[in-house]
Amino acid sequence: MALVDLLLVVGIIAGVYSLLAIGMNMHWGDTGLLNFAHAAFFAVGAYTSAILTTPVTATGALAERTVGFDFPIVVGILAAIALAGLAGVLIAITSVRLEGDYLAMVTLSSAELIRLIIHNEAWLTTGAQTLKNIPRPLSGSLPIGYDLFYFLFVWAIVGACYLLFTRLAHSPFGRVLHAIRENDDVPLALGKRVNVFKLKSFGIGAAVAGLAGALWAHYVYAISSIMFLPSITFLIWAAVIIGGAGSYAGAIVGATLVVFLRQITRFIPGDVPFGDQLAYIRLMVVGVVLIVVLYYRPEGLLGDAERLNAGSSE
Amino acid sequence: MVLDPQLIWNGLVVGSIIAVSALGLTLIFGILNFINIAYGDYMAVGAYVAWAVNSQVGLPLGVAIIIGVLTMSVGAVVLDKIVFQHFRTRSPITLLIVSIGVAFFLRNLLRAIWGSSGHFYDLPMEANPSFLGIRFSVEQVAIMAVSLLLLLGVYLMLQRTRVGIAMRAASDDRMLSRIRGVDTEKLVLYVWIVGGAIAGMGGIMLGLDAQIRPNMGFTALIPIFAAVILGGIGDPKGAVAGGYSIGVIQEMSVAIIPSEYKFGVGLLVLIVGLFTRPDGLFGEATR
Repeated sequence: MALVDLLLVVGIIAGVYSLLAIGMNMHWGDTGLLNFAHAAFFAVGAYTSAILTTPVTATGALAERTVGFDFPIVVGILAAIALAGLAGVLIAITSVRLEGDYLAMVTLSSAELIRLIIHNEAWLTTGAQTLKNIPRPLSGSLPIGYDLFYFLFVWAIVGACYLLFTRLAHSPFGRVLHAIRENDDVPLALGKRVNVFKLKSFGIGAAVAGLAGALWAHYVYAISSIMFLPSITFLIWAAVIIGGAGSYAGAIVGATLVVFLRQITRFIPGDVPFGDQLAYIRLMVVGVVLIVVLYYRPEGLLGDAERLNAGSSE
Repeated sequence: MVLDPQLIWNGLVVGSIIAVSALGLTLIFGILNFINIAYGDYMAVGAYVAWAVNSQVGLPLGVAIIIGVLTMSVGAVVLDKIVFQHFRTRSPITLLIVSIGVAFFLRNLLRAIWGSSGHFYDLPMEANPSFLGIRFSVEQVAIMAVSLLLLLGVYLMLQRTRVGIAMRAASDDRMLSRIRGVDTEKLVLYVWIVGGAIAGMGGIMLGLDAQIRPNMGFTALIPIFAAVILGGIGDPKGAVAGGYSIGVIQEMSVAIIPSEYKFGVGLLVLIVGLFTRPDGLFGEATR
């Protein structure tokens, strides 16, 4: 594959991860919520859009999926956003009153439960098998290469979300979220319904992750439950922290950096020493980079040193 | 039948593993005050080292287990010196995220060295004896016995030795114990030694019961977290009680719900526990 083609593929993955990081930055960067369920929102988005746009017959012979539709892709994507947002609100309702790391544990467990459901309810999701033949938007009717089109499509959405979320962060709504992050007693004393704001933050961030899931599903055209392990959540955490929590530009930079670190071996010829282990070594590098950034630059590459106090007021 | 003795026995075995692992996690939490996401990977390292010493080096399993436990005990101290020590003054949430980095590193180190496929301990195949209608394997009996011994040992340490009493004091109120002359930095060292050894043992027990995989510890974390929270974070007795309860409830749930969802039971117990007894079973959570 030519280098440009590879870069486009990696760029598309980076775009999808950037959307995930934007959602996570809404939760952690803006509101100070420890969300460890991001992989689940990503999965809900991907499966929702996939199920709504593939008829039952399109699955493999072994699959026993009995639910499937043939809706236009745009319906699938909108439903993915809505359903992932709803999943975010539902998880938040059970746990948003919890303090810091309690919230982390409950959201992490909830995400695994959602993955367990996807893995086992074959009538809905084809279960452990891959859900195949997810349609690609505008496939076959384009004057330009498909990867180039999808790259532009994904990054246009990333750009739109960036503008939307930076505006949101500076709106009165965003300022309440920031106040919650610093010390949630203060907005409470000012008559803000802190828990409702947290629910909204959770819902909106999860919805973006759902959008990322839908875009992912329609690009890769086959998804399975092992694509949505908690390690995705941790990678996105690494991206947000490395990029700088509280900064949407940082979230995008961090996500792109993490994706390139993970994919870099694609650009290296296969006959280097330790070739087989490279996949694991690059993930070890992500771990080390995360720790080093936290040590030398706790506010992240593009973060705001002022927001470091988040979550420390208990 | 809901009260199937076989399910109760299975639950007690699983509960032993959760209880031992939760004890180590809660001890570390009590002194260092952060949730160590890498704990599951500490367990996996212990299990892998024991397996490698037994199957690849060829030493007897008993010796291999001791080496596995010691490796993780020393390893926990080394990781503290290299990583966690430099973040001691940072917020618990920063430490939690640092531990994600450590987890990434350890899990992929295991994959890089031993690959991502599963391994089994080299155990003699024997017919499982049965007693009072319960079939049990030799490994299960060993897991039960070792966990009881370990729990007793840690209990005696916490109650009778100066280090153990200092640990409980520092876990209860760090400032007050420092005023009373407890060297908390030295305690940190002891707690990593003990906590790391328990993590290694927990991982080996998990490997004996199922199989050894790089993400074995991570996937076991959820019931362990549930046990720690149910018992009240930082409360050793609570963590053990929570571990056995979750093990038994999880295995007995198989009689009612599809077995694929038994791990969801831990989550359910976790959420119910958090809302009804936020300070743990015995109300002794340290935060």
